[in-house]
Amino acid sequence: MDAAALTDHLVAELGDAVIPVVEHDLLTVTVAPGDWRRVAERLRTDPNLGCDYFEFLSGVDEEAEGLGVLLHVYSTGRRHHVQLRTIVPREGGSLPTVSDLWFGANWHERETAELFGIEFEGHPNPGKLLLPEEFVGYPLRKEFALLTREAKPWPGAKEPE
Amino acid sequence: MGLVDKVELPQPIKFVFNWGRRYSLWVFNFGLACCAIEFIATSMARHDFIRLGVIPFAHGPRQADLLVVSGTLTDKMAPALKRLYDEMPEPKYVISFGSCSNCGGPYWDSYSVTKGVDQIIPVDVYVPGCPPRPEALLHGILELQKRIGSESLKQRYIDAGSRPEPIVVDA
Repeated sequence: MDAAALTDHLVAELGDAVIPVVEHDLLTVTVAPGDWRRVAERLRTDPNLGCDYFEFLSGVDEEAEGLGVLLHVYSTGRRHHVQLRTIVPREGGSLPTVSDLWFGANWHERETAELFGIEFEGHPNPGKLLLPEEFVGYPLRKEFALLTREAKPWPGAKEPE
Repeated sequence: MGLVDKVELPQPIKFVFNWGRRYSLWVFNFGLACCAIEFIATSMARHDFIRLGVIPFAHGPRQADLLVVSGTLTDKMAPALKRLYDEMPEPKYVISFGSCSNCGGPYWDSYSVTKGVDQIIPVDVYVPGCPPRPEALLHGILELQKRIGSESLKQRYIDAGSRPEPIVVDA
């Protein structure tokens, strides 16, 4: 299914819960955190969507808006990609897990949880994946201070904005 | 240890002992990143550090004389490195191979990378480069062998605090 047809299908099925945008031929569906699980289930089980292949799940620090979470899935049968996005608050942000829909999401959710400080409710094995157990802080948030850079400013060219 | 750390051996005996030690360095490669590939290249036919008496791929740290840390050491991996170093028998030597293990390298401001293995274990030779060429490792090994050749084991063990300054191989 191409992106326009996917958009029509999703809007017909889910109504106002989704805000679909097509960018670079990729359908990006923005939802509220409360609809995250419902839309993910629909992507997985709806025979017209059939997104059976998990690509990745990660976070983005959107600063004042909160923390973005994005999920990329693909349908091997119908050959289309869908990106699902949401924004959770910086403090106490949480989302229901999708790791029972796509087992591949298990480690991605753990990684996103430890690097951004977002809880994934119902995750079968929460806890640190890559960081040492005693690590304090969420290193991929913008406010995380890199101690080395506190001691010595960035020596190279100005970083790209 | 025995006799060697109690008395200064006579020069001819010391020469023979050191000559034996410097040309049979069983090396334990702690390969953590791309520098490990350069280490492997150094051990293969073209550069072949066995001709210098460096014997690669010791069965484990307990059989090794030389530890080559090649790659990016993270804070999570650091306890494992410390433990493996502690398992090596004395006299033991460490070559820090590549920018990451020297000082953190391109990851100097990372939240997860240890800024140099010398924060964890004492280093004898630093080989700079990202990654260094195999020739640079050969140079580092030769410099280390020179030092072993003129070493006094009595001094090494009695005056443990007075370790010689580490060697820095010119880039």
